[in-house]
Amino acid sequence: MIPAVARFVDALRDEGVPVSPAEVLDAARALDAVGLEDRARFRAALRATLAKGRAHLPRFDRLFDRFFAAPARGSARRGEKPGEAGAGGARAGGEGGEAKRSRPREEPRRGACPARDRAREGKTGAGDERRERLRRAIARLGEGDSRREGRLRRVRVEREAHAEARGAVERDPSRRDLTRPMTTDEERRVAREVPRLVREIRLRAGRRLARARRGRLWIRRLFRENISLGGIPFVLPFRRRRPRRPRVVLLVDVSYSTARAAGYFLAMATEFVVAGRDARVLAFVDRPVDATRAVAAWARRGRRPATQAPRSAPRGRRRGEGIESGGLSFADLLESLPGLNLAAPSDYGRAFHALLHSHLRPGGRDSVLVVLGDARTNRFDPLPWAVEEVSRRARAVLWLVPEPRSRWGTADSALADYLPYADVVVEARDLAGLARGVAELVRRL
Amino acid sequence: MSKPLAITPEAIEAAFQERGFVCTGEVATTLFLAETLGKPLLLEGPPGVGKTEIAKLWAEVHGSDLIRLQCYEGLDEAKALYEWSYGKQILYAQLLRDKTGDLLSGAADLRSAMAMLRGEADGFFSRDFLLPRPLLSAITSEKPVVLLVDEVDRSDEEFEAFLLEVLSDYQVSIPELGTVHARHRPRVVLTSNDTRDLSDALRRRCLYLYVDYPSFEDEIRIVESRVPGLSVALTERLVRFAQSLRKADVKKAPAIAEVVDWALALVAVGADGLSASVLRRTLGVLLKNREDVERVLADPSRFRT
Repeated sequence: MIPAVARFVDALRDEGVPVSPAEVLDAARALDAVGLEDRARFRAALRATLAKGRAHLPRFDRLFDRFFAAPARGSARRGEKPGEAGAGGARAGGEGGEAKRSRPREEPRRGACPARDRAREGKTGAGDERRERLRRAIARLGEGDSRREGRLRRVRVEREAHAEARGAVERDPSRRDLTRPMTTDEERRVAREVPRLVREIRLRAGRRLARARRGRLWIRRLFRENISLGGIPFVLPFRRRRPRRPRVVLLVDVSYSTARAAGYFLAMATEFVVAGRDARVLAFVDRPVDATRAVAAWARRGRRPATQAPRSAPRGRRRGEGIESGGLSFADLLESLPGLNLAAPSDYGRAFHALLHSHLRPGGRDSVLVVLGDARTNRFDPLPWAVEEVSRRARAVLWLVPEPRSRWGTADSALADYLPYADVVVEARDLAGLARGVAELVRRL
Repeated sequence: MSKPLAITPEAIEAAFQERGFVCTGEVATTLFLAETLGKPLLLEGPPGVGKTEIAKLWAEVHGSDLIRLQCYEGLDEAKALYEWSYGKQILYAQLLRDKTGDLLSGAADLRSAMAMLRGEADGFFSRDFLLPRPLLSAITSEKPVVLLVDEVDRSDEEFEAFLLEVLSDYQVSIPELGTVHARHRPRVVLTSNDTRDLSDALRRRCLYLYVDYPSFEDEIRIVESRVPGLSVALTERLVRFAQSLRKADVKKAPAIAEVVDWALALVAVGADGLSASVLRRTLGVLLKNREDVERVLADPSRFRT
């Protein structure tokens, strides 16, 4: 069976179209008969075998167009959409979380800057005064219609839209899109928000954390220990947590596109899980490297009072330069990791495969795997089965995607293959999103 | 007629086209699949879009007989599957009475008479007295046939369950005779007007095709193929008129056949446009409800665009 069709059937079921296994077999036989060359025929075959009722046809058509859209923008076969597809089903992940099987969608890049896209489409909504200003800006520019002028106009509108977006971000650095170019100073400004967000998460999780440290009341032993006291519970035994294998594994893509998000994420996550004690940190570009000790040391530096002033001379435009902990920038931390080739093209399949065969693989019913990455795997084989295998052994898989949702699964992103095996998916394009992801992790501790 | 048909979607489309039926790619592909997978085909859609026609042409294309089972409320197994011919059986009983007198004259007592009778064949419930109804004749037919179960949504749910049993194995058990297996798997087409929700079990067993009103272009092709004498401009206008009627909430939307009839009527009256007087004279062909006709005549321009 073609995986795409299997996923399509999954999505149909999520949308409430009942598809029985027998019908899936029929569909497979039907596809065998009509072949895959002709889209209309392919569609008719699936329609005749999978959507049996007028009420199901609109849902079928919508999903079909999303799954088997004609290739656009260089991405051939992925065309699914998050949110909606998963809304009906499976384990929801709370705030910012997505259910299993939610998939990214393929569409022209948008959402990175809504204002610009609206400008491009020529649509303006009422209300929002920002949009109104933009509309006026377009109107001012709109004279003459030679092609060159048109392009020029578009460039100028885009530039204004960028300025708009930047303006919005200056008001709240935690909403700054981390995938856009940033200077080291901007990185520092965003990093200053980290303690505030950490405090927020801590407040939210306070009671839970306290209880987790002390352990639960041990009822069976309570009876046993108090027998000699006439059964009156003078002694309250608590069940202490036993030390276990790594409970949390943070698998962090530190390639160029996600290094910045990775830095912020680790800066926040290490406030809640102590690297080395209850979390392992694996950094990867093409293969995972155990960064637990280095990250632990990095996090510890930040807690000590500053012994040395932060290095002010930037060594160039490296990402993560402005994410510092006790004077050591995340960029330096990455460079100090032995065996990590920052210049390699990222290869998720290989990373997951290595994780699966490593002693650090999360396992057991209280193990959590957190993946931070955009799944841009440079067209290497994504090996989704490796993720499935890891996911099956772990209690939960959290996936933080440091990319706007509209870009998920586009081009060389294999996110569509991986997300079915993630329990919670968080859009972590900015610091606030990363904090949501950290909060999801804390909830599971 | 019975030339073997190479089964491909293209061939089906061409064969239907040849017989004056404008066949979309989806219809052709689904018929092709029904043939290849050997599954019943469930056609659903509003009345008058040519569902029954598809089944008829399907039989014609294969050069096989069409056995039609029209469903209605209260249709039961006896009417759909088989009946015993009581008249013949009574005659047979009379014949038996005469013959048994001679046969049993040699018997000394009742016991030996019974023993002698047991030796004779029991012909009372034999195929000779079986009256096959559509389902049974489709199953026992010497040649493969097309079985059309028309308007299955009108039948009762019990009958639907019974149909399911027949369609899953293509066999029928007659208590007196035993199980009858199909010699050839009949090609089964079910149609439904969607007045009642069919059971999921039935839908699961069938391939499904929703036949909707044709698109503007397809309907023009249909009218052109059926009514050759009509000008292109008028064809377009009348089709657009009919399509906008379907979108408006008329009591009875015009079927394809009615549009074709209307086109024929327009040719007959020699109309060259849809003027009010032409409409008044011919609209009865298209609309079969007085209120609809009055509404349209009151403001025909609403539907001309």
